[in-house]
Amino acid sequence: MADAGWITFTVDGREVRAPEGEWLVDAVKRGDVEVPFFCYEPKLGPPVGACRMCLVEIEGIPKLQTSCSTPVKDGMVVYTQTDRVRHAQNAVVEFLLVNHPLDCPVCDKGGECPLQDISFGWGPGRSRFHDDKRNFPKPIALSPLVAIDRERCILCYRCVRFSQEVAEDYQLTFLERGDHTFVGTFDGRPYVAPFTGNVIELCPVGALTSTSYRFRARPWDIANSGSVCTLCPSQCNIAFTVRDDRVERVVARDNKAVDDGWLCDKGRFGYQSIAAAERVTQPLVRDGGKLRPATWERALEAAAEGLRKAGAASAAVVGGQTTNEEGYLLQRIFREGLGSPDVDSRDGGRLDPAAARFLSHPDLAASVADIDGAACVLVIETDPMNEAPITDLRLRKAVRRFGSRLVIAASTPTALDAGAVERLAFAPGTAEALLRALQKALLETDEPEGSDGAESRPGEPREDAAPGATPHEHPGTPDGDGGGGGDGGDGEAGIEGQSRLATFLAEHSLERLAEIAEVEAEDLRDAAAHLTAAENVVVLWGERLGHGERGPATLGALGDLALVLGLDAGDGSGLIEVPAGTNARGLREMGCVAGLGPGLADTDPGRCATEARDFGAGGATHAFYLLHSDPIRDLAERERWEQALGAASFVIAHEQFLGESASRHADVVFPAESYAEKEGTVTHPDGRLQRLRPAIGHPGEVRREWQVLADIGNRLGLDLAHHVTAAAVLGEIAERVPLYRGVTPEEIGGRGVRWPERQQSRTAAAEVIGRLAFSAPGEPIGVPRPGDGELRLATARDIWAAPEIEHSPSLEFLRPRQRLLLNPADADRLGIRRGDPVRVASNGTILETEANPREAVKPGTCHLIERTPEQNPNMLMNGGPVLVRVWPAGAKAPDGSRAG
Amino acid sequence: MSKFDHLRGVPGSANRLAAQVWDGAKVGAPPAEVPEPDEIDVPAELRATIEHHMSLYPDRHSAVLPALSAAQRLHGWLSEEAILQVAMVMRVTPAYLESIATFYDMLELEPVGRHTIYVCTNISCQLRGAREVLDAFAEATGSPINGSSPDGQFRLRAFECLGGCDMAPMASIEGHYRGPLQPGDARAAAAHLRGGGEPGDLLPDRKFVGDYGRRVAAEEETP
Amino acid sequence: MNGRGILFTHIDEPGLQRLEVYERLGGYGGLRKALAEMNQEDVLKELEASGLRGRGGAGFSMGKKASFLPHGGVEKYLCCNADESEPGTFKDRELMHKNPHQLIEGVLIAAFAAGTSHAFIYIRGEYEEEADILDAALSEARAHGYVGDHVLGSGFSCSLVVHRGAGAYICGEETALLDSLEGKRGNPRLKPPFPANQGLYQGPTLINNVETLSNTPHIIVNGADWFRSFGTEKSPGTKVVSVSGNVKRPGNYEVELGIPARDIVYGLAGGPYPGASVKAWFPGGSSAPVLTAEHLDLPYDFESMQQAGSMLGSGAIIVIDETVPIVAVALRLAEFYRHESCGKCVPCREGTNWTVKMLERIDSGEATPMDLDVMASVQENIIGNCLCVLGDSMAMPVGSMIKHFRGEFEEHMKQAARRQADERVGEGAAISISEETGLAVPAKSEVA
Ligand SMILES: Cc1cc2nc3c(=O)[nH]c(=O)nc-3n(C[C@H](O)[C@H](O)[C@H](O)COP(=O)(O)O)c2cc1C
Ligand code: SF4
Ligand code: FES
Repeated sequence: MADAGWITFTVDGREVRAPEGEWLVDAVKRGDVEVPFFCYEPKLGPPVGACRMCLVEIEGIPKLQTSCSTPVKDGMVVYTQTDRVRHAQNAVVEFLLVNHPLDCPVCDKGGECPLQDISFGWGPGRSRFHDDKRNFPKPIALSPLVAIDRERCILCYRCVRFSQEVAEDYQLTFLERGDHTFVGTFDGRPYVAPFTGNVIELCPVGALTSTSYRFRARPWDIANSGSVCTLCPSQCNIAFTVRDDRVERVVARDNKAVDDGWLCDKGRFGYQSIAAAERVTQPLVRDGGKLRPATWERALEAAAEGLRKAGAASAAVVGGQTTNEEGYLLQRIFREGLGSPDVDSRDGGRLDPAAARFLSHPDLAASVADIDGAACVLVIETDPMNEAPITDLRLRKAVRRFGSRLVIAASTPTALDAGAVERLAFAPGTAEALLRALQKALLETDEPEGSDGAESRPGEPREDAAPGATPHEHPGTPDGDGGGGGDGGDGEAGIEGQSRLATFLAEHSLERLAEIAEVEAEDLRDAAAHLTAAENVVVLWGERLGHGERGPATLGALGDLALVLGLDAGDGSGLIEVPAGTNARGLREMGCVAGLGPGLADTDPGRCATEARDFGAGGATHAFYLLHSDPIRDLAERERWEQALGAASFVIAHEQFLGESASRHADVVFPAESYAEKEGTVTHPDGRLQRLRPAIGHPGEVRREWQVLADIGNRLGLDLAHHVTAAAVLGEIAERVPLYRGVTPEEIGGRGVRWPERQQSRTAAAEVIGRLAFSAPGEPIGVPRPGDGELRLATARDIWAAPEIEHSPSLEFLRPRQRLLLNPADADRLGIRRGDPVRVASNGTILETEANPREAVKPGTCHLIERTPEQNPNMLMNGGPVLVRVWPAGAKAPDGSRAG
Repeated sequence: MSKFDHLRGVPGSANRLAAQVWDGAKVGAPPAEVPEPDEIDVPAELRATIEHHMSLYPDRHSAVLPALSAAQRLHGWLSEEAILQVAMVMRVTPAYLESIATFYDMLELEPVGRHTIYVCTNISCQLRGAREVLDAFAEATGSPINGSSPDGQFRLRAFECLGGCDMAPMASIEGHYRGPLQPGDARAAAAHLRGGGEPGDLLPDRKFVGDYGRRVAAEEETP
Repeated sequence: MNGRGILFTHIDEPGLQRLEVYERLGGYGGLRKALAEMNQEDVLKELEASGLRGRGGAGFSMGKKASFLPHGGVEKYLCCNADESEPGTFKDRELMHKNPHQLIEGVLIAAFAAGTSHAFIYIRGEYEEEADILDAALSEARAHGYVGDHVLGSGFSCSLVVHRGAGAYICGEETALLDSLEGKRGNPRLKPPFPANQGLYQGPTLINNVETLSNTPHIIVNGADWFRSFGTEKSPGTKVVSVSGNVKRPGNYEVELGIPARDIVYGLAGGPYPGASVKAWFPGGSSAPVLTAEHLDLPYDFESMQQAGSMLGSGAIIVIDETVPIVAVALRLAEFYRHESCGKCVPCREGTNWTVKMLERIDSGEATPMDLDVMASVQENIIGNCLCVLGDSMAMPVGSMIKHFRGEFEEHMKQAARRQADERVGEGAAISISEETGLAVPAKSEVA
């Protein structure tokens, strides 16, 4: 083999090839040799060498070496079976068991326990220890989710390293020292943080166990069934542990390209909602004003009849947990069966089809794994911890282990702020100005030294530009290495777009743009310097950017930034969206966005969800189809939704739990499948198609939802009878949706496949998306400054604000309490102290909550949690940032009116 | 020869930690995160000291030990409040600090008597009568070994080698090394401190009494 | 002091702690010379040529270690190890207490040689007086331009911070020291990477003991050849030896390496009390395996101690006379290491704890002869299998005691068992004592 960087070494007499520098413990596996270990876990960072289980003999080195921390070198001669090694292994196992209670018969870990396996395989088989062991009380709570049995703990460092080096919550630590060391928290407080459950999986003994899985099953009673978690856009790969057709546990199914093997606690413990008693398990039909159980036939016929009557005056709102198959069928029902183009899966107004296509360009698509290698990551208007938690861990890893520089531009505080080299806290609603300002700063940063040639800036040629390209042309080629498709053409748009942007930026000073966004020009320059210095940049942007009136213009500015940064260079740079819905990308690509047909094709613009709502509030939308969506809770302006759904003559909902919209307004409710029951595909924000596979049967009368949709379609005259399996639906998608051309379940497999990397998809994308071009910059506008007694309100997602939390008994305690975050200086000014009840009012609507001053909040702004079951701020919001009045609850309202 | 079984404690405090070890986490309590500035009042002087130490190092975390020591000097021990104050100024979690505080012998995690006395009990002192000195201190101060006196005046600890074996048996009294000690010295020391005397003035400073090469100080000390 | 000395020449000079006195005696001449007449390479060469070996325990060539640090751009660090916690060792305390500027000068010379611009003195927290003395000396030195930016107007800048520990023996281990200095628990790190490549804050770091560094000014002033005129070929220079335990004159003595150990124990320290004799002695702190009286005539240097199965270690001699039961020493020693084990790696954490438990039973008469074998084997299982050498530091001396004094251990067990059984008989228990093992067995009448 000519592969550079590979070497040959010898283990137990066998010659083995391995990449140079690989840890020996992994390298020997290539020769089918196994070395036991406890503390080694590369996901946790550099090896610590604590357990001493992995000792091996290396020729030329007198002492035994820990193979977990020895890089393999060419010509190394390694022995793992000599008397010396065996002696050391026996010794370590004997030492480990000195203080281990050996209570395996009552231990959850029994049967899947590394300590058992290693004692069996490498231990001396007897103990000479006759003294008293360490005593600790048997399992006690470490948190409501995790129990700890300190007698079993072998102090391997895994859990504390996770807390400190992966999640960086620094809550779980070792206390005391020597043989008195134990795992604990400050002052006995619970270990509560977004990722605590991972320590259960990391623990190589039964010291850390899940309170909800304790004593539920033995390893030989269970089957693990692989699927994907659909509770957020991170789409982590999981396995459901199933016993007697019941999900008892969720564990990670380690996929480096997606989740690195971590799960958040919502994903790990949220499975309990699957078996919740409140679940809707049979069709319901409104009868005499009340929803009552009905037969499938009756419900289906009623649904078909209602839709038939409303015809083109129907609108569909598709929730983020919908699969590609379901979304695809639903849009067919609407576009083809009802003649209504009003299908949407987004909040916040229209999505500009051109921008949507631009941002989906495969050349601009970064993969999750690209974050690891990014020299700089720019996070714009999203808080990954709350919106796509596993991405938060990925970013921490990039910063901690690979030295990535993190630049955060967000109007709300994010969990990553502490690790950022630059933090741009702009005023809510001014993202467009911020993005333009960044472009300006980048241009300025670039001017003095001139271009390094690797990246393109408006007004400068790029070295690798196609021959004959004018200095003004942006050479971002749609075909790139994809072959076929647009040929670069005459570059008319590029020239025009580029000079337009150049003119725009020439006409606007950085100071002016910074002022609109309410950030310091100096900070922008620093951010630009970090971005310019970086070889490759990944930009993580929140869907919120595209919301509201300036949404389309803001996405245009985002696209321009991508080109200015040269993200299309194919060097691991690119964009990743953090959408609001789990499968937002798949749904967009399936045609579930107004104006975008399957495969992002142009189609009748129709009405977006917001427009359909307003249309409906005026009585003009007759039927609403709510597929896994509860707009009253989840979307902006609950009052308007209340009106629209109330005014509609017919509402259909697919729901696992009766939400506000369905319980008050639905005429027909179909029981929705939980994610453990679903079969189908979803698309990760980075373009990876992933398969959901059913782990358990359907409870009650729940049916496959793609089948329910096909049934309704059939009743509405579509020919969907051939859809007898989910794979058949995917087959049709593979035929009719060019971006997904030719995909099969087999190709997707257990690890998924990214379409931006598929040749067929890229070819198709080149046709649909065309070439990259600069947008036409508009005049960015500022937002009004808050007056006396006023603050700007922005809302943000919270990881725990989700129905799955409310319906999982052990997660209930995490259900967020609404609170108003505000800057301590503002709090002082308004006479508010921590914990005070406060009132927040806009347009005569008043929300009462508790004040929580935080240094990190930008002065003049305040924040509430979105999608809470109570005190939901969508009563105050109207699609953009709003000015609210804030005052202490007992006091008089600033305008003189007494709150009610 | 007596054995120093009292030493088999570790730093940190059994009592304070017992709660979490034996009863489990207070599951209803909030997790301990980095405190927000308005949640914790930090005495200005302590804040200034900690900030000064943070400025001395390329990485502010290096100031953890000086900061905890300063908090201990101020509060007498590392109470929950003291740890939260340090956490607040240093922007680290209290768990991080507790993990460090429990690692080091000199950091106290329970309330202790005012005057700290470490009696060395390691081999060199053991060979020269440390046990008797330790017992004498326990009697003179009224403090149990590794405990504090009920009157709050004394903290008495049996300590590992203090690096004063030339004056064995010896003790560190409020940071001042004194030795060789006779059991009778314990009473004098306790009385001196109880009476408000300067710790530095206590007992004759017998260390480094002369040129080491010509020293014959201990000659008359026959066994 | 046997005639000639290096470190202790002026040690009892009144007022030596003050810069003025130190300077009057030629102080900071080494630093001046290094900065004015030599470059970094020259200083490194001089230190290497001197053959100065580390005085903290491992005895590695100081100059060589300094030359391992990569040259050029990266931020490098120097840490002076003043954690001195090895039982029986108190030499650094005297060096810092009486001559703080000698150390500060030594640190700066080493920093210049290694190209570091940040230096730290990690001093154990218990040395409060010494830390205060160092801080005072440091501010004097800083005020006179010896420390800080552009030392003595040269291009060399170096900051120096006295960092106080808080009571943990393990922080004397160089990588644990680094973790502790970084504000973490003082756990040793895996090596490699060695501190010279990746140490403090991930930067290359030179770590040396107080005594090692205190020697450097003298080497620079007087030259490597002068230094080599002290001591032996392989162990040049002098050593400050801390003698303690059962001797008439415990104290620090500066000796040339290679003089017979007897001259130190009997000559300088006066030997055991009248009528007593040496039963065992630790030649290099409590971590060194014990030697017996017959080893007293060996030359006291790195090689000879190693050949005798022990080591020079920190240069602390603890003398034990024959009135002391060896079991008590072993137990006290094991307790110390158990208390000080950081708990990170398994053999040390569990091995020290297990050993203490066995020794307690041996001491109290609850052990069986088999326990002695188990204990010896446990020591073997610890040695070489730990992350750092703290585990070995218990296992080797305990192992050596079993080796040299096995008979005494057995006798101790027998007698303790008998004492215990006697007590129980006294309390009316129906047992008798086996002549053979000394263990209690049910009384004959019971069995019948
Ligand atoms: C458990 C342990 C404790 C140590 N304690 C000290 C110490 O207190 N002082 C010291 O200088 N070296 C100590 N060392 C040795 C250091 O690790 C290191 O070798 C030394 O500081 C290097 O300096 P030198 O080359 O000048 O000797 C200790 C080593 C171990 C394993
Ligand atoms: S609790 Fe488990 S993971 Fe944590 S240190 Fe103990 S054995 Fe390791
Ligand atoms: S796996 Fe190598 S020491 Fe634990």
